Amino acid sequence: MDFDLDNRESSLIADLEKAIDTSAEKRLRDLKSGDPLECLNLFMDYLTRLAEVGYLSVGLRDGRNSTSLVAAQEALASISPSLFLSIESSTRVFGRLMALYGASGLKEEILPLLEQGRYVGSVALTEDGMSVENEPFKTAAAVSGDNFLITGNKDHVINGPMADRIAVITQSGEGLLVALVGTETAGVTVGERYATLGYEGTPVAPLQLEGVAVPSTQVTGPFEPAAILKDLRRWEDQVLTSASLGLMKRSFHVALSHARNHTRGGKPVIAYQEVAFKLAEMLTIRQTAQLLAYRAAWMDETEDRERDVLINCAKTFCAESAEQVASHALQVLGGNGLIRGNAAEESYSSAKYLQVAGTSSEISRMKIGESILERA
Amino acid sequence: MEFSFTPEQLMFKEQLIRFAGKEIVPKVSEHDLHSEFDADSFRKLGEFGVLGLHFPEELGGSAADVVTTVLAGEALGEAGVDGGLTLAYGAHTFLCADTILCHGSAAQKEKYIPKLASGEWIGCMGLTEPGAGSDVASLNTRAQKADSTYILNGSKMFITNGSIADVAVIYAKTGKDLKHAGISAFIVEKGTPGFSAGRDLIKMGVRTSHTSELIFEDCEIPEENLIGQEGAGFLMALQTVEWDRSALLAPFIGGMTYILRKCARYAKERYQFGRPIAAFQATKHKIADMKIFIEAARSLCYRIAWCKDQGRPLNHLEAAVAKLFMGDWSLKPANDAMLLHGGYGYCHEYEVERYFRDSRLAPIGGGTSDIQKRIISKLM
Repeated sequence: MDFDLDNRESSLIADLEKAIDTSAEKRLRDLKSGDPLECLNLFMDYLTRLAEVGYLSVGLRDGRNSTSLVAAQEALASISPSLFLSIESSTRVFGRLMALYGASGLKEEILPLLEQGRYVGSVALTEDGMSVENEPFKTAAAVSGDNFLITGNKDHVINGPMADRIAVITQSGEGLLVALVGTETAGVTVGERYATLGYEGTPVAPLQLEGVAVPSTQVTGPFEPAAILKDLRRWEDQVLTSASLGLMKRSFHVALSHARNHTRGGKPVIAYQEVAFKLAEMLTIRQTAQLLAYRAAWMDETEDRERDVLINCAKTFCAESAEQVASHALQVLGGNGLIRGNAAEESYSSAKYLQVAGTSSEISRMKIGESILERA
Repeated sequence: MEFSFTPEQLMFKEQLIRFAGKEIVPKVSEHDLHSEFDADSFRKLGEFGVLGLHFPEELGGSAADVVTTVLAGEALGEAGVDGGLTLAYGAHTFLCADTILCHGSAAQKEKYIPKLASGEWIGCMGLTEPGAGSDVASLNTRAQKADSTYILNGSKMFITNGSIADVAVIYAKTGKDLKHAGISAFIVEKGTPGFSAGRDLIKMGVRTSHTSELIFEDCEIPEENLIGQEGAGFLMALQTVEWDRSALLAPFIGGMTYILRKCARYAKERYQFGRPIAAFQATKHKIADMKIFIEAARSLCYRIAWCKDQGRPLNHLEAAVAKLFMGDWSLKPANDAMLLHGGYGYCHEYEVERYFRDSRLAPIGGGTSDIQKRIISKLM
């Protein structure tokens, strides 16, 4: 047992905090309806900085989470939630998909670029009306000579508008395929970027594929659906768990700072128990969530047999706690919290996404409950 | 960071669960119903080595580390041992015996620790008073020095094991004008003239532990019964907080694991609308929430234990966080467990009713949730 971060982990966090400026979130958000190229340039700038401190390569090739990674992710997610979500969707979701399911040629080409911060990836998984657990994909691939012809619609594709390649998860006769398409490929239409509740600096869009011809060298599979979907969900959930920790850190600190500096009745508002006790609850939730996330990551790292249940527990608890902490933060900030652009307001807006995305809180509880019931 | 237990720790936990499941748990329900302390099981805990687990071997213990000791508490809960017996064990071992072990003289240790480790003697600790709870500095029990004795006057309240203890560690003021610095700790043995226990309190939960008032009326004890130095009592009491936030919380976590298993089995056996209630989403969600609570609480508890094993001074903020979470966040899953059982959950025969009552102590005992929030807000 060891509850301390080691020197290597602490220095990665320190380097990362130096590399990313605190204005990152505002800069990204200001680009939400602007030029996609400008948006891409800004992301590439941040990616390069993150590559230099070694952040992008952690847990990429082995697909495993770790306490080191979670600690670093929490730091980045607290500086800029939108940047974090975008970069993690590229590195730890798309990147791991390539590392574990990509053909060797593709891996050799793409993984070094991801580690160097010179590549943006995206995964197109979700479909309108689809439930990963129960319904098959409608997006389908058919063989046509040396190509696969892919037709279908994907929703909520993070990084879709600026990705170098989008990994489309598609049905084939024998299982699921991973097909890499570019946004410029004929038949690929990236829809208009969504206006979202929270994570406003992360580019998300729908994707339409109309008979898109993808060379077989850019396609891997078929894979057994349950296995690849389970991996994808796990990676997503791990990213969202760390994203939750980041939001909690962000909203807690802005509330604490306000409570110390804002005076009412001749004293700082933290002197009032109504405020101080809220902050105490926020800190309690945050520390509890942190430890649970770290332990779930450690279980993934050590391939513990309870891993999947713990990852679901951590994701559910952390995502819901993020909203709770942000809500308390808004209350502490009073009227100031309602003004757009402060960390509490942003966190509150973004927190709901965390409970919906990846494995939703409802599905997550079903999975946890079923695993307990199976063993009873 | 890493969160593993050693194979030896896990083996010990399994052994203790088996032992408690066979020797103690079958009698829990009956003792709880009649609010009786299970003295036989308490002695068996001593024989198994639980009561003195972390004590030195030469004083009858096993020299276990803190994490193992906390694991023992979790194991007792997980086996199905009730909150009353685990509370009695906690008050005996961590609040009474450990104070003598850490701060007592060689003679005091030699006299008391082996008997407390074996369970031959039962210990208790008296700090809280009718008018002084978390505000320790305001306690009124006085210890007046008179030649080679101290004379104690005052009363203590909510004392676990109070009426059955053979030996008590009592905190009293030796410097009447001093606040924390005027508090000293004393050993008082059962039968000492002027020392008596009031009636046992009728409690909502943890009923197999006896909780009573202690009364001191010109109770004269030899000066050798002072633990450590005069005025050092507050720091001794504070040191017990490390145990209070780890070993005393662990049975709640273990207990929830036990109840979770009960709920899962019941949900599979209970049919409504032609299918087991386990098939309903609402049931699965309740079960999931119990599991989430258990896993969230566990690391908080072991963090305190691990830090103590590293020889670090107690981080009061982390301790308060653990206590607050365990206290306030345990209420919903405990309630869910009862609801899941419907009408049966409201009846004594089904153990969730007892667990529900026992768990109500978590946000109260050892410092209420409001006190924990006060500590956290002062330290953050």
